[in-house]
Amino acid sequence: MSDLTIVLALLPVLIIQFGLMIFALVDLIRNPRTVGPKWLWGIIIVIGNIIGPVLYFIFGRRNY
Amino acid sequence: MSLLEVKKLTKRYGEELAVEDVSFELTERTSTALIGPNGAGKTTTLSMLAGLLKQTEGSISWHNGTGIGFLPQYPQFFPWLTALEFTEMAAKISGVEAKKARAQSVRTLEFVGLGNAKDKKAGAFSGGMKQRLGLAQAIVHQPKLLLLDEPVSALDPSGRREIMNLLKSLREDTTILYSTHILNDAEEMTDQLLFLQHGKLVEQGSLKDVKTRYAEPRIRVTFKDPESAGLFTGKAPWDAVRDGHIVYIPVKGGHPAIEEVMGYFAANPSGADGVERQTASLEEIFLKVAGRQ
Amino acid sequence: MNQFGVLLKKEWREHVRNYKILWLPAVFVLFGIIEPVTQYFLPQIIESAGNLPEGAVFEFPTPEPEQVLVSVMGQYQFIGLIILILAYMGAVAGERRSGTATLLYVRPLSYPAYFLSKWVMAVSAGLASVWLGFLGAAYYIWLFFGDIAAGDFLQFAASYSLWIILFLTIVLTASAALPHQGLAAAVAMALVFAAQILDSLLGVYWTASPLKLPAYAQSWLAGAPDAGDFWWSSVLAVLLTLLFIGLGIWLSKRNAAQTKV
Repeated sequence: MSDLTIVLALLPVLIIQFGLMIFALVDLIRNPRTVGPKWLWGIIIVIGNIIGPVLYFIFGRRNY
Repeated sequence: MSLLEVKKLTKRYGEELAVEDVSFELTERTSTALIGPNGAGKTTTLSMLAGLLKQTEGSISWHNGTGIGFLPQYPQFFPWLTALEFTEMAAKISGVEAKKARAQSVRTLEFVGLGNAKDKKAGAFSGGMKQRLGLAQAIVHQPKLLLLDEPVSALDPSGRREIMNLLKSLREDTTILYSTHILNDAEEMTDQLLFLQHGKLVEQGSLKDVKTRYAEPRIRVTFKDPESAGLFTGKAPWDAVRDGHIVYIPVKGGHPAIEEVMGYFAANPSGADGVERQTASLEEIFLKVAGRQ
Repeated sequence: MNQFGVLLKKEWREHVRNYKILWLPAVFVLFGIIEPVTQYFLPQIIESAGNLPEGAVFEFPTPEPEQVLVSVMGQYQFIGLIILILAYMGAVAGERRSGTATLLYVRPLSYPAYFLSKWVMAVSAGLASVWLGFLGAAYYIWLFFGDIAAGDFLQFAASYSLWIILFLTIVLTASAALPHQGLAAAVAMALVFAAQILDSLLGVYWTASPLKLPAYAQSWLAGAPDAGDFWWSSVLAVLLTLLFIGLGIWLSKRNAAQTKV
């Protein structure tokens, strides 16, 4: 398998992971009322890998 | 016609009695104010009537087919639904036909002054807008009985005025039971008063009845100047208390009648500018009843 | 039926506007494809890490395609279940606690419609996520390790789905039962993990158990599980699901008074 296929194979992983992160960050910036401080959520989303954005969507937004 | 009859309603939380032995009746198309200090059991009583809480003892009997609308003190909305989406959902759950629900919701939102905000999400609403949306969801299905918990307490004066006016315009075809600790509001829109304290109904009746029962009425005479007032106080044929250029004559057992007082001034010009009969404000009665307990 | 439709629409909007409809499948797909990718690149990763003695040759056995799919399921059995718990722990408890449920409960609400609307939405979103994740995994497995028979795959994913449906039902019922979503999460987690431990310690004495469905799902990839064991476990899973749905409806109604007024 060539290097190109490897890169192509990894691309979806990167797209979904970064997509999720950017999506969460955009929502965080536009969210007028987060649960807890925004900067902390920013850090959690960026360094939290896959789980960071998930934690933000579950605990950082007012969902109910 | 009686719409709702409450008998010996009691709610106990363990040892603590939140509401004790409360009985009253609501007549169709009347407004009843449930007044009392914070913690008197107003919210608990309304929650039982709304079916959110089950009473420990006592009975609540409805006239057949009475739909209710309920507005909690701090109504909470799903932040991700728009005002129209929420109102329409509320209408449908309350049995409004699917075809009519949308139009009826739009009309109701316009009525409460949210016509322009109907497609905004409730999460972005201010306190006043939430209160209006709360009223909209309570009336959208055109219930016969409206239960409102402190409907205007959290609002600023102009918001309070607007909501009070909306409520007054609903009186024609709706029975309203609302709680408040602001007595001016209660005085404004009340056929029946229910006075709750420490979970017990300590006073009830029409506003007029309660007032005559408590407030010793008095006749208020305004004089041009304190001197004339003083002179009159000295020679008045009745008990009279002077306060600056004003003199109060307490009325006991219907005497003196206001005509009698006016006749006196017609016969003896004493520098009186105005004569009027006064009853104590609800606020004074409230303090008196509260003090008696 | 009418109320069910109205409430299902509300649940759908909740999923869309809180982006659950996006992030839930995204996470399952990510975990589904990361597993085959790391397994494939593992030898290179270790080599590039360096410290191998001169001349040492490591033979990494290439895993069978089916083994990789089973490791994906292993991921779902831990991190996947936790994410499903977090996503649905507040379904009922959260609404009561914030007070948003009050304006529903004060109406002539059908509690079966109320609970079932949540159940249908959670099960649809949960299953769609799991299936998309497995499909993503299968694609990468095909790319790197070879193919898995379509029939085996379907039997595997369908059997695992029965377990996911039961699991989500337990989470929703816990949410209806308890006053706080955190408590609901803790109880659902404790209940399922305790049952799993019990089943693995004493489970040798019985073969029909919904907790063994993931293991039977795995067996479809290497032939077939014992038909009797599998069907009895499936029947038990369906019965337990129905039981928990009934319990969830009853608890939603019974605990309605806990809503914040």
